[in-house]
Amino acid sequence: MVDQAQPAAMTMSRQKRWSERDVPLVIQIGAWIGFVILLLPVVIVVLAGLNSGEYLTFPPEGLSLRWIIDFLTSETWMGAYLFSLLLALITMAVSTTLGTMAAIVLARHQFPGRDLLRAYFLSPLILPGVVLGLALYVFFVTTNLGLARSLTGLVIGHVLVTCPYVIGTVSAALVAFDKSLEEAARSLGANPWTAFRRVTLPNISAGMMAGAIFAFIVSFGQFDVSLFLSTPDLTPLPIALYISLRYTFEPTAAAAGIFAILLVVISMLLTARLVNMRKFGGIKFS
Amino acid sequence: MTAALDTQPYTDSFGRRLRVFLGGSRVYWLVLPAFAFFLIFFVVPVLSLFLISIDRPVAGVVDPQWDFTAKNFVRFFTRATYYEAAIRSIGLASLVAVVTLAIGYPLAYMIAKTENPGRNTFYMILVLCAMQLDMVIRLYGLMVLMGDNGLINRTLIDAGWISDPLPLMYNFAGVVVGLVQFTLPFMVLSLIGIIRSIHPSLEEAARSLGATRNVAFWKIIFPLSMPGILAGSLLVFAISISSYVVPALMGGWKVVVMPIHIYQQIAEMGKWQFGAAIAVVLFATSVIAVVIYQRYAAITAGGRT
Repeated sequence: MVDQAQPAAMTMSRQKRWSERDVPLVIQIGAWIGFVILLLPVVIVVLAGLNSGEYLTFPPEGLSLRWIIDFLTSETWMGAYLFSLLLALITMAVSTTLGTMAAIVLARHQFPGRDLLRAYFLSPLILPGVVLGLALYVFFVTTNLGLARSLTGLVIGHVLVTCPYVIGTVSAALVAFDKSLEEAARSLGANPWTAFRRVTLPNISAGMMAGAIFAFIVSFGQFDVSLFLSTPDLTPLPIALYISLRYTFEPTAAAAGIFAILLVVISMLLTARLVNMRKFGGIKFS
Repeated sequence: MTAALDTQPYTDSFGRRLRVFLGGSRVYWLVLPAFAFFLIFFVVPVLSLFLISIDRPVAGVVDPQWDFTAKNFVRFFTRATYYEAAIRSIGLASLVAVVTLAIGYPLAYMIAKTENPGRNTFYMILVLCAMQLDMVIRLYGLMVLMGDNGLINRTLIDAGWISDPLPLMYNFAGVVVGLVQFTLPFMVLSLIGIIRSIHPSLEEAARSLGATRNVAFWKIIFPLSMPGILAGSLLVFAISISSYVVPALMGGWKVVVMPIHIYQQIAEMGKWQFGAAIAVVLFATSVIAVVIYQRYAAITAGGRT
């Protein structure tokens, strides 16, 4: 239902007329053009990765697993894919921990300067990713603590751009959770930690998991922040793809893309199960 | 401390507030790790970057000289290569915002008006998947499609319609197409919420008073979606102006924008101070866009809640 409160006088037939059929034809055509622009490049990557020839032609020459096998046996590509996976998993763990802890304070407590603190945690998303990566690189080089050109350095950059998403989703889950349930547990003798672990945590776990998945996928696809922080030994998949597109343009890159697409689709389907997708409208993701 | 205390609004003395803050409610300590992390790895590095942008430029040296000068910024605003890149960046991002709005609005409108919950979720998943997929992968698809030897040109040449490949990418237009593809999901998500919140009875009323569907759309729905249009355009502008990978790959180094200059100055020439100065200009441009947006949003929101 688009809007909850339909005027009482509106009959069923009237309501029925008000549906997607009532969207003007021009807008319907525009919408399908939008979908094509959105999805065509993704479809092409899948076709190119499964194509039997060197170049993708229309219609495709034939299907083969040639490039997929190439990807799975290539040290460079598989290495980059696994490195991105590792980076995204570490980032997810750190971001979810830090973000959940911060969200508990931000969502549950009234204190002076709370809005300021919330803005503080969102601020890395306002800064262009390339600038953030550069600032961190300069900082790591000048402080000389061994963070430049290291996995830890990359994780730090990725946590800064994923933590805001975790704080957002967990805060939303905490606001929706009725706090009196936790208070009931406390009044029945549970200590604060037990009450939180046994009552609150199971209720906000969907929001936490949605935040964790978002952190994972944003980190997995992160290009801008990684640009200055990666090295030839520490190359996440987006950077490896970029280097390939700049110099060689091999179909193995498309095969790597297929596995990345799979990961994104699975993550989004999981998110759809955890939270109401319709709530995503109006949320700013950057 | 009881949990109930935490919910009380603090109307009492500062001393009690402080006591509660420091020891009374231990829960406050939970925010400290994240706070410290952001302070050390975000605030300090960004401020240091601002600092070295006004430092004396020394090629190949990143450590501060503590010799402050406006040289880097003077260089940026007096050399055509650099200030033209800034103008090009702003023009490009503005154009992308307009094109993305034109394509994103119909899409958002259709998704917002889709009542079937299953179909609606399906559309949302498509948009979110497209958004979350690494841009470099999507650029691979676009390059296969639009290259000189790409699908479009090959098909047209084979069909005998053209003899030479059309210049679809490695130029300004290619960068616009790439950025529109990149930013479209952000625009759609900004618009869906606001379109959905416009009550259908408003359009019903207009229609029952004799307005055609077109008139009702342009006089009622479109003006009411203004807040989403502004927010989406701003988001698209900010993403486009700070993108490095799309101009680098789709422009083939012919469309030089600010992020490309930053990377070249630092990675290729070792001019850290000047690179930092361009980064500061890029950041300032985004901030100015946000300020203009807020001014404008305040005007258009006048008379509505």
